[in-house]
Amino acid sequence: MADVKSLLAQFEEISKNPQKLVKEYVEAGEKVIACFPIYTPQPLVTAAGMVPMGIWGGQCNPQLAGKYSPIFTCSLLRSCLEFGMTGVYKDVSAVVMPIICDTFRGMNSAWRAGVPDIRSITFIYPQNRKDPGARDFLIEELKAVREALEDISGNTVTNEKLQTAIRLYNRKNAAMRAFCRTANDHLDLVKPADRHHVMKAVTFLKPERAVEMVSELTAALNAEPVHRFAGKKVVLTGITCEPDDILGYFDQCGVAVVGDDLAQESRQYRTDYPSANSGMESLALHWFGVKGCSSAHDDNNTARGDMLAAMAKEAGADCVVLCMMRFCEIEEYDQPSVITQLEKAGLMSFSIDIDQSTSDSGQALTKIQAYAEN
Amino acid sequence: MFAAGIDIGSTASKAVILDGDGQVKAKATVPIGTGTAGPERVFGQVMELAGIARDDVAWITATGYGRFSFEGINDQKSELSCHAKGISHLLPGTRTIIDIGGQDIKVMRIGDKGQLLNFVMNDKCAAGTGRFLDTMAKVLDVEVSALSGLSFQADEPAEISSTCTVFAESEVISKLAAKIRLENIAAGIHKSVARRVASLVQRVGIQPDVAMSGGVALNSGLVRSLEEEVRCHIRVHEDCQLAGALGAALFALHSMRNCESYTG
Repeated sequence: MADVKSLLAQFEEISKNPQKLVKEYVEAGEKVIACFPIYTPQPLVTAAGMVPMGIWGGQCNPQLAGKYSPIFTCSLLRSCLEFGMTGVYKDVSAVVMPIICDTFRGMNSAWRAGVPDIRSITFIYPQNRKDPGARDFLIEELKAVREALEDISGNTVTNEKLQTAIRLYNRKNAAMRAFCRTANDHLDLVKPADRHHVMKAVTFLKPERAVEMVSELTAALNAEPVHRFAGKKVVLTGITCEPDDILGYFDQCGVAVVGDDLAQESRQYRTDYPSANSGMESLALHWFGVKGCSSAHDDNNTARGDMLAAMAKEAGADCVVLCMMRFCEIEEYDQPSVITQLEKAGLMSFSIDIDQSTSDSGQALTKIQAYAEN
Repeated sequence: MFAAGIDIGSTASKAVILDGDGQVKAKATVPIGTGTAGPERVFGQVMELAGIARDDVAWITATGYGRFSFEGINDQKSELSCHAKGISHLLPGTRTIIDIGGQDIKVMRIGDKGQLLNFVMNDKCAAGTGRFLDTMAKVLDVEVSALSGLSFQADEPAEISSTCTVFAESEVISKLAAKIRLENIAAGIHKSVARRVASLVQRVGIQPDVAMSGGVALNSGLVRSLEEEVRCHIRVHEDCQLAGALGAALFALHSMRNCESYTG
């Protein structure tokens, strides 16, 4: 069995070089479907015999994206559009775009205009999740996604193939959750950036490979003695916590990340696909099981704050860090109620600005350091 | 031996020297900050005022935006911790601190020993910061220090955006073109900053006593506007601009004493 250090290095390499992986997939004759965040029905892509890969933008100063996307647009979607327009995603066969916020509505049009060579498959998640018609509506939306994927792959997505893929994704979810639990017993080995690289790399890997690699890492960690971490512990929430510099600041200040609710990380592995009469129904019901997420409306506006408070307490953290994606309105809307609930639970919280268009994160260091000093 | 604190901000450098009993031996401010000769100059000035040499300083703690770039320090602390410590020393009983710095706004809730309980900071945006005031003063063609006096003579404060410095600058130019009195524009600028700061204060939750830290606190016109927005009296110490440096010096004193007791 490989040692923890070399396994973590593999995840870091994948996390930082998704284009290399795309090239390998394409050279092996496989088709890659880029999946916008979050809750893209990836089992459909797998069942269609293609490779789903998450796209998360990246640090860049958009130039071309400004043609369709004003500067006050979600930083992540703006960099995705920039990468689309500058050819970074040129090897993917299509993108799947869930319309989960208002910015995505505009992005759908912007993508079609700005990146005409990469097909865009869009669908809408119903926000009124209690409406009896919402399930049927979503199944119809997902059928359209399925048809588009079948058209690109030339394969038929049977119910059997889909159910098999769903079981595989649930195994992946379980593997990710097991890794997160185990990592907390080895905070000397799994630094905040290491944890992030594992979570991010998995969004680029085929699900079966992800399960294999993450399970091997978890087993390697379990073989190590448990480490009693004496420093401060935090839970992260938001869309992403990048670049690595920010995660490095936590380590530099002696702070460990012991849990997260990031869309790029644990949020997508928290909810399993439930048993249902068909694979399509299971995909739809998954959306109705999503809790405590800024992109899924909940009548109970304390749900996310309560969930985060419980998560922090369970992991022994005394603070939740809100990683606010610049101009992400859904996260901004959630912020006041989340802070209120955390305060009621006796937890500290502070926000850091996540902006993919700049590499200056000095304010984040000041905030993390101030938390660590007190 | 002496302990020193240096606060290297984005627009000014401040330094404080404490003697072994914790008494302020000297303090100095230079109106240029990180990346300039300001930090070296202010440190030279404060030592000259104290009548000591660098070798007489047993511990130097740096804070502020430029805290990592000053040579010869013993350690560095975040400006949040230092303002909390400094204000708690200058104005005991303070529970909420508002610091308007050159490029950011900080609101801190502190405990009875000056420990930081919670805080909020604006993110990368100049609205409501000292830089905002500098920009507006430039448009009005007055010194930033003149804004306070002007605002006290206003009879109808102008309405100016608190969303964005660039928007606000355009608005101020439009007001000037519309022949709105300078005094009313100055008061409107203060109101704009006060609204921006008040929204952050609301996020962290206000708890009396409230004090203001940093050089912008010397602008009494702005303090008045802020008091109106947060509906609370705001205490300002005459050394408010030095609060961060004083906090750093207090941390340095603590480290110096620990070091002395360790070495016997």
